[in-house]
Amino acid sequence: MLTSSRTQLLASGGMIIMLSVIAVFVATWFGPATERMLTVFFISLTAVVGIGVYSGNSGILSFGHVAFMGVGAYASSLLTVPAALKGATLPGLPTWLADVELTLIPATLIAMVFTAVVALAVGAAISKLEGSAATIATLGLLIIVHGVIIGWRDVTRGAQSFFGVPRVTDLVTAAAFCVVALLLARLYRDSVSGLRLRAGRENAIAAGAVGVRIRWERLISFVLAAAIMALAGAMMAHFLGAFSPKKFYFNDTFLLLAMLIVGGMSTVTGAITGAVVITLVTEILRRLESGFSIGVFDVPPIFGTAQIGIGLIILLAMFRKVDGLAGLKEWEERVLPGSTLIAQVAPPSVGAQDVLSGEGLTMQFGGLTAVDDVSIQILPGQIVGLIGPNGSGKTTLLNMLSGILTPTQGQILLGGRDLTGLSSPKIADQGIARTFQNIRLFTNLTVYQNVLVAALSTHRGKDAVARAQTALDWLDVMKHVAADAGTLSYGDQRRVEIARALACQPQVLFLDEPAAGMNREETDALMEILRRLSADLGISVLLVDHDLELINQLSDQIMVLNEGRMIAQGTPQEIRRNKAVIEAYLGTGRENTN
Amino acid sequence: MDLFVQQTVNALALGGTYALLALGLAVVFSIMGLINFAHGELMTISGYTLMYCGILGVPFAVSVPLAILAAVLAAVAMERIAFRPVRGGSGATMLITSFAVAMILQVLFQNLISARSQAVALPQILSQSVHLGNVIIGVNKIAAIAATVLMLIFLDRFMNRQKTGIAMRAAAEDFAVARLMGIRANTVIAGAFAISGLLAGVAAVLWVSQRASVDPLMGFTPVLKAFIAAILGGLGSLRGAVAGGFMLGFIEVYLAAFLPQEFQEFREPIGLGLVVLILLFRPNGMIPSRFLGLIKV
Repeated sequence: MLTSSRTQLLASGGMIIMLSVIAVFVATWFGPATERMLTVFFISLTAVVGIGVYSGNSGILSFGHVAFMGVGAYASSLLTVPAALKGATLPGLPTWLADVELTLIPATLIAMVFTAVVALAVGAAISKLEGSAATIATLGLLIIVHGVIIGWRDVTRGAQSFFGVPRVTDLVTAAAFCVVALLLARLYRDSVSGLRLRAGRENAIAAGAVGVRIRWERLISFVLAAAIMALAGAMMAHFLGAFSPKKFYFNDTFLLLAMLIVGGMSTVTGAITGAVVITLVTEILRRLESGFSIGVFDVPPIFGTAQIGIGLIILLAMFRKVDGLAGLKEWEERVLPGSTLIAQVAPPSVGAQDVLSGEGLTMQFGGLTAVDDVSIQILPGQIVGLIGPNGSGKTTLLNMLSGILTPTQGQILLGGRDLTGLSSPKIADQGIARTFQNIRLFTNLTVYQNVLVAALSTHRGKDAVARAQTALDWLDVMKHVAADAGTLSYGDQRRVEIARALACQPQVLFLDEPAAGMNREETDALMEILRRLSADLGISVLLVDHDLELINQLSDQIMVLNEGRMIAQGTPQEIRRNKAVIEAYLGTGRENTN
Repeated sequence: MDLFVQQTVNALALGGTYALLALGLAVVFSIMGLINFAHGELMTISGYTLMYCGILGVPFAVSVPLAILAAVLAAVAMERIAFRPVRGGSGATMLITSFAVAMILQVLFQNLISARSQAVALPQILSQSVHLGNVIIGVNKIAAIAATVLMLIFLDRFMNRQKTGIAMRAAAEDFAVARLMGIRANTVIAGAFAISGLLAGVAAVLWVSQRASVDPLMGFTPVLKAFIAAILGGLGSLRGAVAGGFMLGFIEVYLAAFLPQEFQEFREPIGLGLVVLILLFRPNGMIPSRFLGLIKV
């Protein structure tokens, strides 16, 4: 399923095909030298977009995907090299492989599947790592695969040149394959998986809390990216005819990454822009490299001009345009309107039927006990206020109940189902949604995407669009749907966050300081919305806030935490008169004796 | 048994060099989140300084401090010119910046000095060896181990006793709060780069003293290994970097010595495979940084 408007995708696809066709015609008109250059460009672009599928959407830079290009090149070549030649150059090859002789397309497809399987195993390991650690692990992957290719002489001829590959990649083939890769990458970006992955890139914790299993989505994109790299590798092998392991090592990795980063890694537009810019600059500088003369001055040949040029372009891009030349949006997302909303469909409203209870919850961080033996119960449709001084453990309690922290001791039950120790995506799917004290929106996604991704990732994405729209309607943020979430005012961001949680169709909603930073009018409006959520939809709410007026007016029950312990529990009237609460908030005071 | 002792000494020497490099990477990473690809070029600069000193006839005792000083100055200059503009950027941004710096420096070395490997004059004593029973140990190995130990003690003292060192640890823990406490960001970051340059300089001297030659890509391989060592130990953790460096040294040397002949070709993949295996069980490294991944929700 795709998450963006059909108009945008069609425009993007049309443009990709049109540009490729024009490029092919122009190159044919210029002659064989240009044709060769453009063929290499198409192959490079395929690889760039392949790396982009993983790195762009997940935000984790990968040095390792060029290794998959190598795997694809060797795997496809082993299938297409004439059997007679294989017998001579690779005498150690197992017979079943030695006798095979396929044409380019089946060989490429098999190579892609093989590479995807390898990537699945590798990706399962790498998806456990985060951020920079994952990046360095991909660097390790590049070295390992290079080492294996060199060592596995019977199959790869080791460090020597692997030759005799039929040179069947012509300009049109390369262009066609490249278009396929570009379209795949573009569609993946706006597929459900791609959207989830981008949400995870923007904010991993929030993505988990709305039901996104980030590791799984990363693995999907890792494997898809590897398959596209294998396609590029197969094309490269059948273009060059002969290659060695060095071809798929650091030099090409750096060149391809430079294209991706200069253009902008999170979009297909960026990949194309970067590939064009770097290819042009490289071609121009290569000409200068051999030395030239301006009038009377003879500029001596400087070895590596192209490399220095690329280096400087990267520095310039990093200093001036961190997100690359194309930025974070596809061109068509800037030009064409986004998703048009469909007619209102009332989503099935479940409301709460189950009691959420935490029993004897304790959280220790090293020697510090942040929450100490707290039990809490939220009845269906109730609004429970949770108050307490700063550092009393309110947010920690919320984090335990929403699966972000696993309690050191204690049990969490929802209608008798044990939720203790479940991951936050699973808890979200069980019907507990939340907002965060420091707003955690997916800042570079639109408001609509923010809410949609939550609806798509819970309850198997059933009626997702309708749920997303209803949630947006409820919080009165429909007018902002097309804006990037990060550009909204503080109060609107809070509302979008609540809408996002609501789109998960929760039984219980946790709100961590929803009124923080809102003025009185906004707070009153919010109060009205929350009251209706509980009254009309029957959703239970656990509300943390420092605004006691808000808490007092809304809550059916109030719980008071102090230094990690529950010191009082009761109706607002009871709490107002409770001695322990007054002490915790105002201190014991001293009798004024003079 | 003798072979084992011999190889253990080799492993300590190699692992020590990796540890120094990984430590240099970790000091910078823990404070500003930059994985410095150009760390290897600091080594190369040090190496070339040694080479030129040798050509000019400067005594070795003088050329070593000069070489280390060159790396320190280069590190500080690198921060000022290339990394300050991207400070606070994402990890990927800074990584790519450092990679561009590395690429430019490599091409400059190739053009301004030589693309080929250059010999470095070393004192005779470094190529001699000592007999301990049946074990023969190269003086250069002993020097490497001694230098590593000295550097580790120095750094430990510096980080725990000196004001700048303590400020750097505070900044690694929480940069924003450290700044609120009146610690200057520029001082701490420049200090971190100076330390990483110092470590790279010492590592370069040790590396060159085993090989007696310098080339434009000299720093590339050892620093690549140091990246892996830093991850293995736990990214951002200083103790982890040292542990990871030694661990990688041991894995490499023992595999080279004891792996059956038919597997020798796969030595590197097997070694890295072992590293991956360790990481699968400890995704945050052997001694994880306490502050990495500690996010306030």
